[in-house]
Amino acid sequence: MYVLHYAPDNASLIVRLYCEEAGIAYRCELVDRSTRAQDGPGYRRLNPAGLVPALETPDGPIAETGAILLWLTDRHGLWPDAALQGPFLQWLFYLSNAAHADLRRLFYPEYYAPPGSLPAHHDMAAARMVVHFTLLDAAATQYPALFAPQSALAPYVACLLRWSALYPRGQTGWFALDRWPALTQLAQVMDARTGTARVALAEGLGDRPFSAPTHPLPPEGSAT
Amino acid sequence: MYRLHAAPDFASTITHLALVQLGVPFDLVNVDFEAGRLHTPAYRAINPLGLIPAMETPDGPIFETAAILMYLDERHPGVLAPAPGSAARAAYLSWFVFMNNTVHPLTMLLVHPERVAGEDVQAEVSHGVSAQLAEGLGHLDRALAVDPGLGHPAIGFYLAVLLRWMQKFAAVPADAIDPGPLPAIRALVAAVEAMPAAKRVAEAEGLGPTPFTAP
Repeated sequence: MYVLHYAPDNASLIVRLYCEEAGIAYRCELVDRSTRAQDGPGYRRLNPAGLVPALETPDGPIAETGAILLWLTDRHGLWPDAALQGPFLQWLFYLSNAAHADLRRLFYPEYYAPPGSLPAHHDMAAARMVVHFTLLDAAATQYPALFAPQSALAPYVACLLRWSALYPRGQTGWFALDRWPALTQLAQVMDARTGTARVALAEGLGDRPFSAPTHPLPPEGSAT
Repeated sequence: MYRLHAAPDFASTITHLALVQLGVPFDLVNVDFEAGRLHTPAYRAINPLGLIPAMETPDGPIFETAAILMYLDERHPGVLAPAPGSAARAAYLSWFVFMNNTVHPLTMLLVHPERVAGEDVQAEVSHGVSAQLAEGLGHLDRALAVDPGLGHPAIGFYLAVLLRWMQKFAAVPADAIDPGPLPAIRALVAAVEAMPAAKRVAEAEGLGPTPFTAP
């Protein structure tokens, strides 16, 4: 069985939702961010960059959300139809290297910008996120099957929407889900999945974690 | 037949290397980005982001460097990366995605630090980006030292082109990456440079005799 090293409401959530939807057996092991366990030698052996998640598999550990999703897609025969493989890959990598990367910059501005320029940094990163969601909204309209709950793209988009609405606290004014009708629908559909309900309970994410998110109240661990 | 929309010394160089290595037939279309071609509706239909590269395939167009590499690897397995289903795939994917979502964006910020928070603070931003990049490359270098077999062509091509830019195009020259402390990365990039595919692409794109080790 796979072991998913997770922290509540962290990027591990994307992998967890994908496993739930596909019926892939896994168990979770908490990375305790309150004691910075992600920087300890045990975790760094799984992921040298110290980021959550990591997935232990019979073939060794895998780091990086996108890599885990691709590996599971391969291993469990979850690829979309041949004609949709190209679009699937392009949007998955776009989520990983553009949307997710820019959102991380919005959350951790101090790693990128000097203190005096944080507002400028925030505005530029937020403007890029608006572009990303606008392109993703068009893609979800063009390729509904690729953004259906069974696809790895759906939990990825749903989680980025959730985090955009919540973090960083007090600086989410740029985000308004209803600007993007196809993404609004995706969030509502994801909210209604039974896998989402199980994970939301386990991580304390509330009743509508994607279309009307609230700050998590996890029974174990810490989101930050 | 594939049609790669490219420009010399752009991210398309990475996918160009992959196509030559695979030995599959393809057309290379040079995109005249200075003439604004990236912003035309015809190009946006191929890549809505208006970025290079994009590739037309029998299944339709694809953009994103890593997506093009993965697509080619799925269609022509076993050359660019460990075959899907093999045990080496797990570690390969971890580092391939790391290259794409961490090393590649940080390299672009080293070249364009003004994109972080404007031109006023670009020197400070560049310095921080360079440090983050050195840290990330350090992780990769240690992984390659432990397992040189990780240096599959998809990782080697990607790394070689990015390392070229990190050395040559940093906006603040003092923040350019010195590969000196990264011996496993240097060895991989030197091996890539000696490959016939690299020689052919370097010549076609005018990248000089040592495009990756001494750009």
